Formats: sequence, C-alpha cells, structure tokens
Amino acid sequence: MRLLAMLWLILVGAPWAFAAEGKPHELSPKATILWDFGWFAITNSMVVTWTVAALLIVITQVAMSRGNAVPTGLQNFWEWLIEGLHEFLEGLLGAHLIKGTFWFFASLFLFILFTNWFGLVPGVGTVGWGVVEDGHFHLTDPWMRGGNADLNMTSAMALLFFALWLFWSIRALGVGGFLAHIFGGQGGTGAMRVFFVAIFFFVGLIEVISIAFRPVSLSFRLYGNVFAGENILESMLAHPWLGWLLPLPFYFLELLVGLVQALVFTLLTAVFTSLMIGQGHSEQGHGTKAPEGAPAGH
Amino acid sequence: MFAALTGSLHIGLAALGSAIGVGFIGMKAAEATGRNPGAAGEIRNMAIIFAALAEGVVFFAIFLVKQG
Repeated sequence: MRLLAMLWLILVGAPWAFAAEGKPHELSPKATILWDFGWFAITNSMVVTWTVAALLIVITQVAMSRGNAVPTGLQNFWEWLIEGLHEFLEGLLGAHLIKGTFWFFASLFLFILFTNWFGLVPGVGTVGWGVVEDGHFHLTDPWMRGGNADLNMTSAMALLFFALWLFWSIRALGVGGFLAHIFGGQGGTGAMRVFFVAIFFFVGLIEVISIAFRPVSLSFRLYGNVFAGENILESMLAHPWLGWLLPLPFYFLELLVGLVQALVFTLLTAVFTSLMIGQGHSEQGHGTKAPEGAPAGH
Repeated sequence: MFAALTGSLHIGLAALGSAIGVGFIGMKAAEATGRNPGAAGEIRNMAIIFAALAEGVVFFAIFLVKQG
C-alpha cells in the first residue's frame, strides 16, 4: 500500500516539484488561538478535543441507554469494542491488574483513535478565517485542527499517564518496594555483594532516566506522527491542478497511522504499567529485572 | 545541483536510521510469522510496538534539533 502510494507520488508529484507556484501551505506547529481571554485562550485544537470527548460520551450514553440483555445495533457495536479492548489488554496486563486500570487504557485508546480520525474529517483544518490575497482566498486560522496535532494535548496525556503510573506503582508496591524494584538486585556474597549493589545502583539510575524519558517519547511520537501526516496532506493540497487527487492515497494512509498510533500509545502505557506491577510481579522475589516477554520501551 | 542542497543532516540521518529499523522489524516479523503462523497475533503486536519505537526516533530529531 505504501509502495503504491510512493509510486503515485512520483508519477503525479514529480511534475509538481517544478511547476509549483504560490507559497507552499505550511501548517504551523502551534494551534491558532480562536478566543483569547487574557489568562486563558481557547485554541482550535481544544475545540476538537472537547467535541470528540463530548461525542464519545454521547455515543456511549445512547448505546447503553436501553441496555437490553441481547444487544443490538449501536449497543452491540459498542459492547464488542469495549469487550475486545478488555480482552486484548487483559492478555497484556493480567486479570488482577486490569481491574484497576482498564478505565484509563480504554478511554485513552478510544479518545486518541477518534481524535485522530476526527481530524481527518473533511472540513476540519480547511474551514476557517483567512485573507484574500491576489485574487484568491488564503486560509490563515482554521476553526478546527486535529486534537493530537498539538504538543500540549499529547504531553498532557503522557504526563497524566506518568502520574497515574507513579500512583499505581506506589500503591501496589509501596514506596520501599517501588525503589527496590528499580534499584533492587541481589547476588554475590561478602565483598562481591558490595560490588553487585553498586552495579545495580547504576543500573537503577539508567532505569530512572529511561522512565523519565517515557513521557517525552510518548508525546513526541504521537504528536510527530499526526502532525507530519497533516503536513503531508496540507502541502499536497497546494498542487496547482491536481491538488485533490494527489493526497488521496495518503489520506487513507493517515487513517491507518491514526489507528496504529492510538494502539501504540495504549500498548506502551499498558506495557510500562505491567513492567512495574504486572502479573505476579510483586509477589515474586526481587531478582534482577524479571525477564518479561514484554519489550522494555524507551 | 548539489550546491542548492538545504535542510538538516540530523533529521536526514535520523530518518534513514528509523527507516532501516522499521524495515528490519518488518522483515523479521514476516519471517517469524512464516516460521510460526500460530503466533501471528503476538508477533504482529510486538512488531507494531517496535516499529513505533523505531519511528519515534525521527520525531525526536525533527523537534529537538536546533534549526539552521
């Protein structure tokens, strides 16, 4: 699919590289402010965030309003979605841990997925105020912009997860257990023991750095992918006479990227949580880092 | 033609690295699924996670490199 898209780009895009006239559409990394109340401003990505959140709440209420035993229609779809997510995450987190954390991972996944796809609805990001320059209309500040195409949104989610991760880990392991888990490690006797303790202390430091880097990597990855996708579509629309055809394959590519990024963000947060307090993690003796099947993300 | 080359070497190298990384992940995932079709689900999940981790690197370069 991507190869086809690349071929398409070369065949259709190449002449554009030389024939492009007019300034290339450059999507600004910052969301444009719609209403400024001095101390608090509402930007166009906040508008999309609220709309998607409201949409999710309304759909869930409507789906579950009748709540009959044999689900049909919207309720059936919504139950299938939630149960599928629950089953999928249970495989990762284990039955004990998922009870306390499923609410977060499910809403995270659904919110990111629908925000990404909502940002691709025609009209979002292309409708808004602008100026008329040399004859035709230039859009300066669109009314709506993809929620995740704004670093504030993604870092808010990443930091929220980091706080929750700390809370869950300390609640499950206790502060001592939490530190022992990061710096813990036995092995060796007598003089060798001191040597091992020093080694595990430095391993713990590296672990702390990698833990601290997680919110940065989570937020940059989601923001980067979504923002780059919107930039690709935006700059392709500038094609003089084929602007509508060129971005078509990349539009569907963005649908896929939206799904994958939502899946990845949720999977990584679930994996990070299960690394700390996963299946039987706390009951097991604190050997060196228990060799988990799950990958240690950075 | 080369005199007009502009842009940042950092981002180019980061993109090169992450593309190679994602390519390797895809190759090995396909191989692993071929060798053990039963575990296709888990392999796909891990491949998606690792591909995303590899792809994340290029965005660190894009946003953290000082422009110019």
